[in-house]
Amino acid sequence: MKYLICTLLTLTAFITNAQIKKAEIIATGLTCSMCSNAINKQLKSISTVDSIQIDLNNNKFTVYLKEDNDLNPYSLKSKVEKAGFFVGDMTIYFDYTDKIMKNYISLDGTPFKSSASKAKVLDKGYTTAKAFKKIVKKYQLSSLSTDNEEDFHLLIL
Amino acid sequence: MRRLFIFTMFVFWSTISLAQELFVMTEPASNMPANSLGIRAMNSFMYEKNGSLNYHIMPELMWGISHNWMVHIQSFHSNRVGGGMKTEGASLYAKYRFYSIDDFHSHFRLATYGRYSLNNADIHQDELETMGHNTGMELGIVGTQLLHKIALSSSLAFEQVQNNGDYEFPSSQGNKAINYTFSFGRLIHPKTYTSLKQTNVNIMCELLGQSIVSHNKNNLDIVPSIQFIMNSQARIDIAYRKQLYSNMTRTAPNGFMIKFEYIFFNI
Repeated sequence: MKYLICTLLTLTAFITNAQIKKAEIIATGLTCSMCSNAINKQLKSISTVDSIQIDLNNNKFTVYLKEDNDLNPYSLKSKVEKAGFFVGDMTIYFDYTDKIMKNYISLDGTPFKSSASKAKVLDKGYTTAKAFKKIVKKYQLSSLSTDNEEDFHLLIL
Repeated sequence: MRRLFIFTMFVFWSTISLAQELFVMTEPASNMPANSLGIRAMNSFMYEKNGSLNYHIMPELMWGISHNWMVHIQSFHSNRVGGGMKTEGASLYAKYRFYSIDDFHSHFRLATYGRYSLNNADIHQDELETMGHNTGMELGIVGTQLLHKIALSSSLAFEQVQNNGDYEFPSSQGNKAINYTFSFGRLIHPKTYTSLKQTNVNIMCELLGQSIVSHNKNNLDIVPSIQFIMNSQARIDIAYRKQLYSNMTRTAPNGFMIKFEYIFFNI
């Protein structure tokens, strides 16, 4: 029964594709500027990153992306992890587009707008471990608990 | 001794509220970023028992292979025996971070590490040190807690040494030791970050101990230090190593250290 509900919830979740314009990432596990610089240099190595603004006191990286990029949240997360840290919070600003192949799933079923959408990525590795446990409990979505790095569960803001 | 104890306690207490874990004498459980290359030079000016000052330089190349693996290669040079600088040995060090729990402004990490060193210097003391004095290996585990701007780190390692090239290890001495360390650091400047170019200042204090259990020989040193991080890429550490306790032969336990480091990201 539980599986049936989970499957139905997954099926009813709104699936779409998106182009990210901007991402706000709060990294965890660091307090020093040398650590922030390590993340900054990793993010800058992405060819479709246009510029990065850093709030050093809150370890927040606002990443502006170039037009027509096909970047997904995983590319950003993996760069933060390569620097030796983790993502504690990721908010993306994006336009709905069919061009990009990666799947974005609206966690609560709210449909994406055709432009200027803002959403939090709430998959494993995009929040703290503690917060992720709460998300799994709240949304009871079986796809959330998998280690699938190609689908992204978003909470529209 | 009493003054030292008071100084130690003062440093401990003064760091309760707020550092960084880029320690001078020990490695934290965290690694350097993947695809980065670091160059480092540790310069030690140690007082010999006869009053002379010897100079050791240990250049080091560090490579972050992935976020979990890093390796160092290092060479050891000194003028300890007179007649100018001599190359005494080299070592290979690897560290694997196997546990990490991170939160906003904090983390707890565990790593295991190993070092194998070669050395051709004469064996002149009971103390075992694969960093520049003995041929041998060291295997250890290190745990590091970062809490806001305080970093605390502790390690436990097993060290075993062999003959140093043509110099046989004296059979009367113990060749196995347990090494333990406790380090902490605190960021003292800036209070608020404004840019990556801002110089960061950390103060640190480390306790380094060794126990050669088979021969009941022990020592414990304290190393207070100050660290400057420039442009979020370069480091200068100034430290003083002072023996707190020892019942083993050590020829030059006390002295000053200056360490330089520079990191190249995304090589």
